Amino acid sequence: MRFILLAAKNLLRRPVRSVLTVLGVGLAVAVAVSLTGFNQGYRQSIEESIQKLGFQVMIMAKGCPYEAATMMLKGGTGLLYLPADTHGKVAGDPDIQAITPIFVGVAAKEAASIRDDGGDTAFSILAGIEVASFLQMKPWLTFKTGPGYDGGRWFEPSATQEVVMGFEAAEYEQRKVGDTFYASVAPKGRAEAVRHEFRVVGVLDRTGTQDDGTVFMPLGQAQAIFGRPDELTILGIKLKEFSGAKLREFEQRWMKLPEVQVVSLQQVKTTLVSLVGTAQTMVAAVAVVAVAVAVIGVVNTILMSVYERTGEIGIMKAIGASRSDIFQLIWLETLAICVLGAGIGCVFALLGSRGVEAAITMLVDLGVKGSLVRITASNIVWALAGAAVLGFFAGLYPAWRAASMRPVEAIREGE
Amino acid sequence: MTPIPEITTAPGGEPVIRARGLMRHYRRGSETVRAVDGIDLEVHAGEMVSILGPSGSGKTTLVNLVSCLDAPTGGQLWVGGRNVTGLREDELVGVRRGFLGFVFQKFHLLPTLTVAENVELPLVFLRRPVNRDETMAVLRQVGLEDRAVHRPRELSGGQMQRVAVARALVTRPKVLIADEPTGNLDKANGEAIFDLLYQLVHGQGLTVVLTTHNLALGYGADRVLTLEDGRVVREEPGRRGRAAA
Repeated sequence: MRFILLAAKNLLRRPVRSVLTVLGVGLAVAVAVSLTGFNQGYRQSIEESIQKLGFQVMIMAKGCPYEAATMMLKGGTGLLYLPADTHGKVAGDPDIQAITPIFVGVAAKEAASIRDDGGDTAFSILAGIEVASFLQMKPWLTFKTGPGYDGGRWFEPSATQEVVMGFEAAEYEQRKVGDTFYASVAPKGRAEAVRHEFRVVGVLDRTGTQDDGTVFMPLGQAQAIFGRPDELTILGIKLKEFSGAKLREFEQRWMKLPEVQVVSLQQVKTTLVSLVGTAQTMVAAVAVVAVAVAVIGVVNTILMSVYERTGEIGIMKAIGASRSDIFQLIWLETLAICVLGAGIGCVFALLGSRGVEAAITMLVDLGVKGSLVRITASNIVWALAGAAVLGFFAGLYPAWRAASMRPVEAIREGE
Repeated sequence: MTPIPEITTAPGGEPVIRARGLMRHYRRGSETVRAVDGIDLEVHAGEMVSILGPSGSGKTTLVNLVSCLDAPTGGQLWVGGRNVTGLREDELVGVRRGFLGFVFQKFHLLPTLTVAENVELPLVFLRRPVNRDETMAVLRQVGLEDRAVHRPRELSGGQMQRVAVARALVTRPKVLIADEPTGNLDKANGEAIFDLLYQLVHGQGLTVVLTTHNLALGYGADRVLTLEDGRVVREEPGRRGRAAA
């Protein structure tokens, strides 16, 4: 029998109290690990989402650049449009490596879908694109294969009734290659929607971005059905050299156009991160309080245990235990509670990360898709190490109290 | 005042415990309590000494002092030939370890451990290897080898006290200190524990110092000291001491 076993058996003497204390630590660690995972996951998601847009800079109509950028990242309504001839003006810029015009519009799916669950799902995001330049930005886009999906292809630029559906859009609509996709669009200046039929010529593989929920069509076709033949939503731009200085130069050159603004996705990222940063700080404060409460709970539990076992501690000293033996024993009990709690907390965090993610996205519009809570092995190791450090400090006072007891007084008190 | 009788020297040479003018005074409010008030004592190897006396006479305080669980406020004390007067608690631990074994009135077994684990506990603290065969041998000595895996709550009072004796014996101490070892037991169990201790003294050469209220049992020892008000008022051979003489 070793000290660690003796410590474990002591903890099992009051199983309910020990389990509750361990759960308290577990809960605090779960909150801390989830928040850390969220912090990492969110930053990574923004990075990936922006990376998967394929361009570093957007030119768009004047308005809130962050709202527009967020819309591009996750989809949305309330779009502003810029003149289509902006494309021609900007395309010749010597710093541009690639440029792609995009027209985004929202179509009602009324009476089109086999589903009828109303709400937001009754809309489709339609994106008019130029395939060649669009694929320069997003060379990773591939077509889904398999029964019903084989033979997927991009539409011809001149096609008028062809669409390519993103993975989720096709799944949701239960459409395959060759099926018909219906969308009702109210063109500019008209109140009533016009129903359109399109043939699905391809379904894209999953990308984990807003592209999954988008229905793509030729730029001209999109502009035509929305009644905006001379307008675009954004110009996506990839610069030859992406640096702060180059970006500023580029911005200065094109800010002179009265109706457009240049938005760097790096700026968007920084702003999105800082927007959520305030909330994160508050939640982190809650986590710190939770950890502090858990530590106080541990100290309380161990102190109670020490007081209850005063007589036993006296006996252990009488039969040969030194001060350091008693200190070690009580300290091990504290450490065991903290490390076990941390382990359970990490399991809670891993199992509950999807729930935390769902709760966060329900409460806050974070502007990105994909996994928001990413708990890595290093998070787990840090949590366990942190718990061990907390256990070390939490155990000091109870262990010192126990070690300082004089055997004869402890035995007398225990009786 | 009753004169303190002259200490008789029991066989065995150098005493394993020797006290001269041993005192333990403490304050209780404005009053000074003289729990042990100038006791001279010698306990020799291989003898069984009973300390008798009414409640509050200083029996427990005296055994706490000679077992190095408490520190005297005056006088000199030698344990195992070493002067332990004035030693700090961590130094007293070193004196107790392995040299002294303890049996208490209330057994004080750890409820979460099995009988065998309770017996092995001192070995853990002494960093000695734990050998279950040796544990079983000690349990056999106290007649509890069939209870090794039981928990204390599954034992009778007499059995628990036997476990406490086994726990005291497992480190092979030279001296066993027993404070009211029969105080919580019925007559039959009390006699059985007393006989067990006596056999350990005269079968294995152990030295036993015990306190008891039970005069009949106490006089069964080799030597009997009677305390009153913190002083030894009488020292005499016990029945077995007389028989041996």
